[in-house]
Amino acid sequence: MEVQYRPIVPGVKRLKLTVIQIVFLVLGRAFQCASQHDEEIRKEIEPWPEGFTLMMKVMPDGPSMGLEKKDNMLLFRGSQLKSANLEIYFRNVESAFMIMTPQMGSPQAFAEKRMSIKGDLGIATVFTRTLVIVMATLYPEIIVKKLVKRVPPLTLKRAGLRVWLYTFGILLGR
Amino acid sequence: MLPSYYEFHNPVKIMSGHKALDNLPSELEMLGAKCPMVITDKGVAGAGLVKIFTQSFDSSGMTIGAIFDDVPPDSSSEVVEKITAIFRKNGCDSLIALGGGSVIDTAKGVNILVTENSDDLLQFSGAEMLKKKMKPLVVIPTTSGTGSEVTVVAVISDIKRNLKMAFSSTRLLPDIALLDPRMTLTLPPKMTAATAMDAMSHAVESFINLQKNPMSDAYALAAIEMIRKNVINAVSDGNDAKVRLAMANASTMAGIAFSNSMVGVVHSLGHAAGGICHIPHGVAMNIFLPFGLEYNMSKCRDNIGRLLLPMAGADVYARTPESRRAEQMIHYLRELRKALNDLCGLPINLKQAGVTEDKLPQIAKAAINDPSIIMNPREMDENDALEILKKAFA
Ligand SMILES: [Fe+2]
Repeated sequence: MEVQYRPIVPGVKRLKLTVIQIVFLVLGRAFQCASQHDEEIRKEIEPWPEGFTLMMKVMPDGPSMGLEKKDNMLLFRGSQLKSANLEIYFRNVESAFMIMTPQMGSPQAFAEKRMSIKGDLGIATVFTRTLVIVMATLYPEIIVKKLVKRVPPLTLKRAGLRVWLYTFGILLGR
Repeated sequence: MLPSYYEFHNPVKIMSGHKALDNLPSELEMLGAKCPMVITDKGVAGAGLVKIFTQSFDSSGMTIGAIFDDVPPDSSSEVVEKITAIFRKNGCDSLIALGGGSVIDTAKGVNILVTENSDDLLQFSGAEMLKKKMKPLVVIPTTSGTGSEVTVVAVISDIKRNLKMAFSSTRLLPDIALLDPRMTLTLPPKMTAATAMDAMSHAVESFINLQKNPMSDAYALAAIEMIRKNVINAVSDGNDAKVRLAMANASTMAGIAFSNSMVGVVHSLGHAAGGICHIPHGVAMNIFLPFGLEYNMSKCRDNIGRLLLPMAGADVYARTPESRRAEQMIHYLRELRKALNDLCGLPINLKQAGVTEDKLPQIAKAAINDPSIIMNPREMDENDALEILKKAFA
């Protein structure tokens, strides 16, 4: 009997995709919230043009997290953005999962090309610094210090912001 | 130590050595090119290099589409547009960059416009904005330092809009890097020294930063050793073709290294100082390199220590205890800078380079937004940058 060769239809990594989606939601809301309260983040994003959009996206058509600068804050735009001025790509679901869960920090992720940038590299440099601040606000130092080169100080204000984030901030995005 | 994952990419064909230029026409033919356009500058033409270049096409049956020899010291979009028009008018199908960093960046810019069939570079600026396969590009460096013949980047300023556009894409990689010793023979001593220290900084930074990998390490180590053995001779006797060719090779190897592992704070500071005080890039690299290493010492002492071997040779390396190698590496680097300073006056601090102290805060601010900072081992903030600048000032 002749052997039949058929194309192999790829499966779907449903669980990992769901986790990434949830982290994107938390991170997006945290960004929106922190960009209203954290002075350092506000200072960093100030020079960006009004209406500037950025997006983190899992390749090729996975979940995404959009942010838009409006009135010197970053508005969380969910997965509505189709493209953005600055796009940060995760090469595949595994890379995104590793970085979002967070087992790997962005410097290493860039070095290992698990994460790549399309757009202005200067703004991307500033964005990675704000990402570090948001991470340090969201997670305890014991986790963050493995992910970043230098842990930003957990000021009293930032500690307060952490409490706010986990109680109402992420829910309300304010 | 192996990184948990890395990539290394260098598809550029290297053609190096005696009468390398004369192999170019047949090589172009293999690339499917019939009518190359040459981009160069007045300095290169004035040194007689364009003449040597055109002679290498005699009896080859290949027509040179046009020679544009008016690229300014800082590549600008205006010139890129001007060259693009000539390229189209003369029906050219490929590009040859004959010159230093600015000429090479200009050629990369022209390649973007002719490939994308556009007249506006700005819409392609940034990382990974290019989708089409580019026209064949041959690079013939006339300086030994930038490494642009093997890199994925180009920087072009838009004077009208007052912007510095950076382009980064693997598509910008040239097809061929051609190293002919005749092309660097006339480079003056100070330029020779400055560009050599740029190459040195590429190799050193690529070896200590976060994206380093075994392949880039190999290129970096070989480049440093070759620079150490030849730079003094290249500066004191420019007519030695062997020494010149060694420097060209070292520069290309350093270019391959940093194109695959990126640079660090030395370049962040250098780009910023260049943008604000117009210090030539190589001069800035020479000034900042030891201070950048000292700054990173706490994070990568072992890697700096390993560089003592190519930097000072096997004897010194063997008799230096492991715990002292990093300091010794910086010591030998400083000795080299001093020798170059004595030979040709290459500045070793910012004051000598004509920078005034009031500019330092501005440079620090710009330095921390330079993308090269991302792969540096230590996170440099504005205060750190200012501290380094103060140390490098006088
Ligand atoms: Fe450089």
